[in-house]
Amino acid sequence: MSGYWLLIPEYLLLAGALSALFGDLLPGGERSSAVLGALAAFAAAAFAGFIGTAEPLFGGMLVFDPVSVFARVSLAALTGVYLLWSGGRGTGSERSHEATALVLLSVVGGMLMCGARDMVALFIAIELSTMPAYVLMGYRRDDDRGLEGTLKYFLLSMTTSLIMLYGFSFLFGITGVTGYAEMDLTGAGVLGVLAIVFVFVGLLAKLSAAPFHYWAPDAYAGAPTSSVAFVSTVPKIAGTVAMIRLVEALAPGATQLPLLLSVVAVASMVLGNLAAYPQLDLRRLMAYSGIAHIGYVILAMATNTSTGLAAAVFYMVAYALPSMAVVMIAAEEGSAVEQLSGLADRRPWTAWALVVFLLSLVGIPPMAGFFGKLYLFTAAFSAGYRALVVLAVLMSVVSAGYYLRIMREAFFGERVSTSAVGRSIPASIALALLVAATLGMGIAASPLLGYLGVSF
Amino acid sequence: MLSIIVFLPLVGVVLIAMLSKERESAARLIATAIAAVDLILASLLAVNFDVTGGMQFIEKFDWVSGVGIQYYLGVDGISLPMVFLSALLTLVAVVASWKIEVKPKAYFAMILLLEVGMNGVFMALDFVLFYVFWELVLVPMYFLIGTWGGPRREYAAMKFFLYTLFGSVFMLVGIVALYLQAGTFDIVALTDAGLSPTFQWRVFGAFFLGFAVKVPVFPLHTWLPDAHVEAPTAASVLLAGVLLKMGTYGFIRISLPILPDAAAQWSPFLAALAAISIVYGAAVAFAQTDMKKLVAYSSVSHMGFVMLGIAAGTAEGITGAVAVMFSHGVVTGMLFLLVGMVYERTHTRVIEDVRGLSSQVPVAAGLMAFASIASLGLPGLSGFVGEFLSLVGAWRSDMWPGWVITAAVGVLLAAAYMLWLVQRVVLGSPSHAVAEIEDLEPREIAVLLPLVALTLGVGIYWDLLLRYVDPAVRGLTALMGA
Repeated sequence: MSGYWLLIPEYLLLAGALSALFGDLLPGGERSSAVLGALAAFAAAAFAGFIGTAEPLFGGMLVFDPVSVFARVSLAALTGVYLLWSGGRGTGSERSHEATALVLLSVVGGMLMCGARDMVALFIAIELSTMPAYVLMGYRRDDDRGLEGTLKYFLLSMTTSLIMLYGFSFLFGITGVTGYAEMDLTGAGVLGVLAIVFVFVGLLAKLSAAPFHYWAPDAYAGAPTSSVAFVSTVPKIAGTVAMIRLVEALAPGATQLPLLLSVVAVASMVLGNLAAYPQLDLRRLMAYSGIAHIGYVILAMATNTSTGLAAAVFYMVAYALPSMAVVMIAAEEGSAVEQLSGLADRRPWTAWALVVFLLSLVGIPPMAGFFGKLYLFTAAFSAGYRALVVLAVLMSVVSAGYYLRIMREAFFGERVSTSAVGRSIPASIALALLVAATLGMGIAASPLLGYLGVSF
Repeated sequence: MLSIIVFLPLVGVVLIAMLSKERESAARLIATAIAAVDLILASLLAVNFDVTGGMQFIEKFDWVSGVGIQYYLGVDGISLPMVFLSALLTLVAVVASWKIEVKPKAYFAMILLLEVGMNGVFMALDFVLFYVFWELVLVPMYFLIGTWGGPRREYAAMKFFLYTLFGSVFMLVGIVALYLQAGTFDIVALTDAGLSPTFQWRVFGAFFLGFAVKVPVFPLHTWLPDAHVEAPTAASVLLAGVLLKMGTYGFIRISLPILPDAAAQWSPFLAALAAISIVYGAAVAFAQTDMKKLVAYSSVSHMGFVMLGIAAGTAEGITGAVAVMFSHGVVTGMLFLLVGMVYERTHTRVIEDVRGLSSQVPVAAGLMAFASIASLGLPGLSGFVGEFLSLVGAWRSDMWPGWVITAAVGVLLAAAYMLWLVQRVVLGSPSHAVAEIEDLEPREIAVLLPLVALTLGVGIYWDLLLRYVDPAVRGLTALMGA
């Protein structure tokens, strides 16, 4: 086993998590913790990119293909940006160094998910990734609604984990292996269908795809907004990668899979977009919009072409960037949509950044979201899902309605609230980085797409 | 050269964004300078243009290589007048709004950003690039209407955005379908892709939704009166003068040459919608009590002539369409500016309240009369050229003659409602609101003069415009016939 060095990014994150736990003893207190964590995350991202693709580890349990490298870099880099922002804010919430450590631990799990091509490895990685998230979501112990939300999140997440594990046991029973490489469901009959349903129901619930989404809005609305910024976006990248690997492995033997996925895609797109309309709380709104976006991603997965799957991962990152940024701004300004009112007068730069993020989520060029949608819809169209593509573009028009409502509040709204947050340079840098990435992933995506193998 | 014309305003946006709050009045100077330089560059383009040379000033390199997206710009005799028009009207819009007081930085930045999108649309020869610029236009216009507009601005801005987005996502589906069929996003190369008629028919439908909303063609026009009435003057000028042309330009640049079989099949439908738009727009314009709304509905009517020429598909028809596009941009720009200038003084746009301008403000009244008469298509002024050609082209095509006759009735209606407007607003004894107002100041006259000159120039010497348009259109019809 000479390949342990491939896991340097994970070691860095672990080291970052441990040092963050004690970082508050340094001068600067909680802030130094977050800065240490951010440094560790950026270093992990750099290393993951530097290492690049490599031979699989542990007999194929962990792979380092382009998708895995791209997802690992994105995960770590986004985490770095997130920690930079949360550390820079220094809202003085108690024990924020522990939050930093939890975020980093969760990302270690996420990084492992990106490479896992083995059921056991995947399950452990998922648990490692979600356990810290439970704590993050319930971080305010004195908030009853928050505790209710986090309890819901915990119970449902555990249940779905177990359903998935149950599915895994079926898969193992049928095929006798845990690695995806030799997994073949051909001729497995009803048992095979059951296995697939269990496995994917678990995963889809974690990604908050309809109709397994109902935990998400409540859980997010109860949680501290700054935790939601992380939990509702970054782990989904890892979840998407885990799911495309399972689709790749199981689709050849399971002809029902594309149908199952397209049903979920339609349900998520329609329900997410329509339910986002009446929401007055940004966290709930973004929860529903997340359901809608996962619908587009699953549409691409249903194609089960290498381009479609790569486009799904690209889109997920293109979604996570602005979505995280919007929730960050909500954390600074207050989570009700109307609290953004007058943002353009108070903080014009932030307001224009918000425009970039929201338009990217709508899918307006030249933002990343547009290019993500372009590749994703092209992949789905060429795989024959024409009606679904038309539905998806219509739904993105619908989504423009509620994203514009946020924009309208920020720009045309009467100023009702005053921002309680002082300006912080690291937090501004974090937002600026996200703006640059949201624009850059669209305009300068050519090398990235070549790397991921998106071509038609 | 073309990239500079497109992205120079973006430099202006950045410069304006970096101005400090105390020096925000410098924004208008930057915007004026940038827009002026851009207009000079666009004029140089026209001077150096070889009228028989087809697509020129081409800039082409790979953008997203794996997917075949190119950065591909070029102009021909059809796009060149549009680029010139958008550069001219941007400068006009900037100078016309010198007195803006609310958030001047953001205002001028938005106008310049709009120019990036407008110029880009008329130069892009790659579908993705075209779509990027097409959508880019939505954002600044949304903010221009929503921030500096009238009382119902938020509603109007939202309606404008959603309506246009609804149309353009179908265009996106069309682009994707074309790409998967022909393997390229290259608008020029796609003209000889040899697509099957059934496939063409469907893609034409997708593009139709995208373009027709923008034009706008009856019955997809309902966003237009709202947007126009609420928009600030400069935004109205650019909206009517340039943005509407993007739709018809799309038909001419994309639908006709790439989908010629479908264009022939769809032609009766387009002709019917064109004729209905002409008469409907005119009839509704008659009933308006608000000057701005009247001009807005007259736009629906005029754009109908463009659609009629496009539906005809003959060389005269398409040349006429492009000529109406240019002329309507200039003339309607004038009308919106004048309505805006009168509104600034009287604080009303209600026709009843603004009577007898001629005795109080002779210069404004004279220009108003001139613009109105140009709008109704009097021979010798620019409006006549295009309407005449598109009617001739339509008559010579195999279109049902009834539509051409209907359209001709529309010309009469236009004369009627415009002259009636002149009679009520310009002539007669001054009303209460008009009694105290002052005439146009030199800046305002300077804004209008180039437009007056172009109206006269193109109207008297057709070749000024047609020498660019005609050869390009003949190339286009040759492609369609092939």
